[in-house]
Amino acid sequence: MNPQIENLYRDGEPSEVTIREFLQSSQFPLTEPGHVTFVFQGQADEVNLRRWISGFNTSLPMQTLEGTDLWILRMELPNKSRFEYKFELVRGGNRELVLDKLNKVVAHDPFGANSVCQGYGYKRPAWTRHHPETRPGTLTGFQMYSQAFEGHRDIQVYLPARFRRSRSYPLLVVHDGADYLRYANFETVLNNLIHRLEIPAMIVAMTQSPDRLVEYTGDTRQARFIGEELLQEMNSKFPLIDNHRSRGLMGASLGGVASLHTARQYPKRFGQLLLQSGSFAFSDLGKHQKGPIFDPVVRFVNEYRKNPIPVAEKLYVSCGIYESLIYENRSLVPLLQAQGMQVNFEEARDAHNWENWRDRLRNGLSWLFPGPLWMVYE
Amino acid sequence: MVMQILLGPQSPAPNLRQAIESIQADGPIVTITAGWRDSEGEVEELREIAGHPLEDLMLYQRTEQVFANEPALYELQRERQEKLKELQRLYRIRLAPTITAARRLLRTRAEADLLKLEQRAAIAQLRALDTHHLRRIQTIHQDFNQRRAGLEAPQASAQRDEVHQLVKNAGLVLIAGGHVAVLLNRIRLFGLDQLLALKPVIAWSAGAMAMSDRIVLFHQAAPQGKRDAELLDAGLGIVRKRVLLPHADTRLDWRNHKRMALFSRRFSPATCCTLDNGSVLHLDDGKIVAAKDSFIVTRTGRKRAVSTV
Repeated sequence: MNPQIENLYRDGEPSEVTIREFLQSSQFPLTEPGHVTFVFQGQADEVNLRRWISGFNTSLPMQTLEGTDLWILRMELPNKSRFEYKFELVRGGNRELVLDKLNKVVAHDPFGANSVCQGYGYKRPAWTRHHPETRPGTLTGFQMYSQAFEGHRDIQVYLPARFRRSRSYPLLVVHDGADYLRYANFETVLNNLIHRLEIPAMIVAMTQSPDRLVEYTGDTRQARFIGEELLQEMNSKFPLIDNHRSRGLMGASLGGVASLHTARQYPKRFGQLLLQSGSFAFSDLGKHQKGPIFDPVVRFVNEYRKNPIPVAEKLYVSCGIYESLIYENRSLVPLLQAQGMQVNFEEARDAHNWENWRDRLRNGLSWLFPGPLWMVYE
Repeated sequence: MVMQILLGPQSPAPNLRQAIESIQADGPIVTITAGWRDSEGEVEELREIAGHPLEDLMLYQRTEQVFANEPALYELQRERQEKLKELQRLYRIRLAPTITAARRLLRTRAEADLLKLEQRAAIAQLRALDTHHLRRIQTIHQDFNQRRAGLEAPQASAQRDEVHQLVKNAGLVLIAGGHVAVLLNRIRLFGLDQLLALKPVIAWSAGAMAMSDRIVLFHQAAPQGKRDAELLDAGLGIVRKRVLLPHADTRLDWRNHKRMALFSRRFSPATCCTLDNGSVLHLDDGKIVAAKDSFIVTRTGRKRAVSTV
């Protein structure tokens, strides 16, 4: 049992006042080396912990604490791990998913919000938070017509602090750019890493698909849009270094698939690829089990596995070990390395979520685009 | 007596204005911002901080113009830079095992008398490697200077004369931080080494590093892991026997006393002095006469306030 819970019963069954004090003075979930304890207070027929961890039983029943209206669940969790969760309340046959009211740490994504369990020792990196001394860049945007999609697309553009038209900058193109900005503090991260000289001042083009389940699954229109049209447009509008080594492409989940697919269609157009928890589904034998949305992904990945070629100079690939995609990502890495590309693969004790992707940005971006910190002392 | 003041980074709280006022310059103030490379000369913010009119010498841009018109000089410079880059790579190959051995010896346990001598020998090897590297760099510079002397480069000479005149007329020279290798290179290309030694100078961050006789690159908190400090070049030598360490608070691993002790002992007899935001070192003919918020790295890897002896 968690020592804080044990302490609650030190003088027998806890009174309402003792429970209130315990709830007010503790940080939830309760963490200790190697373990975490979830606590829910309230009336219900059943309370389950629903974990957004792939490859595990994602629903775990919580137990009532004798003589109280508290429900608890203690489980193993390696130090510094992170995952997202909700409580499932069963009342009169109805099931409802709710946030953990005792936990203030919440992560947002396009589907809503989840409570975040931060294992013992996890600390949110300082460079993901606003720093008053950091000179901020600016966000601007434009709309362009895409022949590939036969329609208009909105592009958000990050310009670094002290941007000058007389200078030339590296370019990074981001799939799901608006989501990176909203859920992964991307603007703050870029500001901080540039300010700390860990990456060079760069221009970042952020795209957002209106139909990513189609366009990010190995769609040649998407590849043409990014690899030809967007690059042409960015080159005409901004001072960019005209060299593939100074050009990067990135994305998470299906955005990772779209990045690799575009790089495959336009080899070496992007020197640097950053692929986070890429949904690189494939089948060695028979039909895959991931549903029809993944049919084109599997076709593309199977084809690439069969006929691999070098697509970039350097790739940073990351994946959480609490997501089922770890298998696909681990399988892909040796294949990429065998093409002579430099691959930096990072596994994190985390799952398929934006904060995992946020926490890996420093390692990924500073490896692909090393900043001038060694030589520059401002 | 020539007064020099070395400062730390000017962000977040600049202390340049106080430094300027303490010098009471007898003549206009000129700036060297070549370390900012293509942002050179954008001194509006600096003017505001300084509270005085400033004229930038534009060494970086002048050099670009000269190179565009004097291809032989450009080729000579390119060749030197390639050699220096390659030499630095070779030095790094030797540095890694040498420093690893010294670090291991500082951490290992053994009979005190035996160990002490081995530790000293390992640090001596490290110093010998640094000295050797410095000598090789000097040879490359000497070769460059000899070959350059034989070159007809009228534009370079004209630009150099113009810059020299501006410096001679100045009452104070400010040398800003930035890319330390570029800054040093441009100062040298214009032959300002000796002239600057005769002028009141205020230099900060990379500017301060360039003033010393040993420029050490360092960063123990880089995102891709710790990197061993490297000797880059000799610097202008206006400040002697000091290794100047801007941003020492964030760049050095002060909790790791063994690592810091090796850092200090490696560069001895030079003293490693920190220059963080707010630091000031007043020098008179190269000797420290007053100091504020600057620390030396001791033999045991700890901080101690700079003494003004």
